[in-house]
Amino acid sequence: MQINWKPFVLSLVVLLILFPFVYLVFLSLASEWRFPDVWPSYIGFRNWVTVFSSEVGLLKSFFSSLLISLLVAVFSTTSGFLISKAVFYHPKKRILTLLAYFPYILAPVVFAACLSFFFLKMGLFGNTTGVVVAQFIIAFPYALLFFSSFWNEKVKSYEDLVATLGGNKWQTYIKVLLPLAKGLILICFFQTFLISWFEYGLTSIIGIGKVQTLTIKVFLFIKEANYYYGALSCCLLIFPPVVLLYFNKRYVFKKFV
Amino acid sequence: MKIKKLNIGILLFVLVGVLPFAAAFIYALLYSFGIIGVANNGFTLQFWKSVITSGTFFKSFGYSFLIALVAVVISVGSALWITSKFRQQLEKRFMSFIIYLPLAIPGIVTGFFTFQLFSKGGFFARISHKLGFITEASQFPDLVNDGLAIGIIFSFITMITPFFVLLFLNVYKNERVEELSLLAQSLGANANQITQRVFLPILIKKTWVLIMLYFIFLLGAYEVPLILGQESPQMLSVLIIQEIKQYDLDKISEGYVVAVLYTLIVSVAAILLFLPKRKRPYAN
Repeated sequence: MQINWKPFVLSLVVLLILFPFVYLVFLSLASEWRFPDVWPSYIGFRNWVTVFSSEVGLLKSFFSSLLISLLVAVFSTTSGFLISKAVFYHPKKRILTLLAYFPYILAPVVFAACLSFFFLKMGLFGNTTGVVVAQFIIAFPYALLFFSSFWNEKVKSYEDLVATLGGNKWQTYIKVLLPLAKGLILICFFQTFLISWFEYGLTSIIGIGKVQTLTIKVFLFIKEANYYYGALSCCLLIFPPVVLLYFNKRYVFKKFV
Repeated sequence: MKIKKLNIGILLFVLVGVLPFAAAFIYALLYSFGIIGVANNGFTLQFWKSVITSGTFFKSFGYSFLIALVAVVISVGSALWITSKFRQQLEKRFMSFIIYLPLAIPGIVTGFFTFQLFSKGGFFARISHKLGFITEASQFPDLVNDGLAIGIIFSFITMITPFFVLLFLNVYKNERVEELSLLAQSLGANANQITQRVFLPILIKKTWVLIMLYFIFLLGAYEVPLILGQESPQMLSVLIIQEIKQYDLDKISEGYVVAVLYTLIVSVAAILLFLPKRKRPYAN
């Protein structure tokens, strides 16, 4: 009799995927968990209560991250969509695309270190505006390249049809291009939001520790060896994307996959 | 009028997409040659000579290259195996959401989580103690901040394998590998031949640009090696930032030399990957 091993392996895969989420929540609820104890001496909501009474500014960091990520996602998706049209209809689009790949594949932290002088000169060093601008600079090439597949002959012929029927540019965007690109725009918004939400290196260089996003907080807690608050920050960092993933997959990916 | 509008778009593209990169590169280049910088007195090759003779860059590059290569090879191999064996199960409702979950975990959390699992006072050290394998934390093997970069490679694998699984599942469906496999089978091909002649060539050929792209991303990874790396050698991004943030002013210029070298390598890779004219349906 041959044993079907697939269900066991699949169950193991599910457990391995869920383990980090469960472990981080568990660690965020723990206190005084010293080696070699397998179980912490305290399990409860003490850390969460402390955070929600804003003693460590984690909630402030959460909303700061949210604001920065929303701004970066809105600006980069909008500009990426509009500017990509000019780039991908241009006769030299191969060279222009290549130019967009340079900032896209360079490590953001190195990019930020080399750009920091200019941010300092422009008064964008150590403030939220500077972090938004810096993150926009790395999210924009992503958004631009993301829309490369959208601008094709079919879309162009739709635009020509609208023009032939007497529609103006505004109507072309509102009635044709935006409805056609709605799904892609949503995915791009989600992806650029995540690029910003997960960003650490660039934010630490341009924000110089003054702009304390959640990733900065996680690293601060790791440095302080405060692993319980570190885990709590991790929970705040990963659960919003999980919710977004749920909606994104449910309503957007279905149309494409 | 149309041309004018397109030109405004191109102008904005240059302003946002090209100018910052060019400015950053020129700044780093000028700094590396001593032309600008707080303690620099004009053009010199001193910092370049120092970096090249000390071998720091080459050591760091080789170290980063090997880590990225091992992580990508293991991840792609695992993802191909999972796709070939569990494709049907992964398309079911519950699993199709579960496999997306790892995408919600950023590098810094992966680094932190790996540290919590594999450090000398971590989860596995506690289990080992409970099971009687070790009596003190120091007896637990070095799995983080170690010379072999086990912690870093583990983190990279857990970060990118789920992405490759999703990618391969997508390519499998879009390229109709199922139908092609059935066709090969009806022509007399066995399971191994189908894997070697149909499944692997199609999936690898359609995604190799993205695989290379992920290799480049790992080469410049920062958060994970910052948490799980060792003092020396370091991965490239960590080395660059450490040098640039030094109080020793000569080291700052040397940091910019490494930054210039890294940028040049990445740029050449981008040119080789994206300039040749070919069909790349999964490159973006």
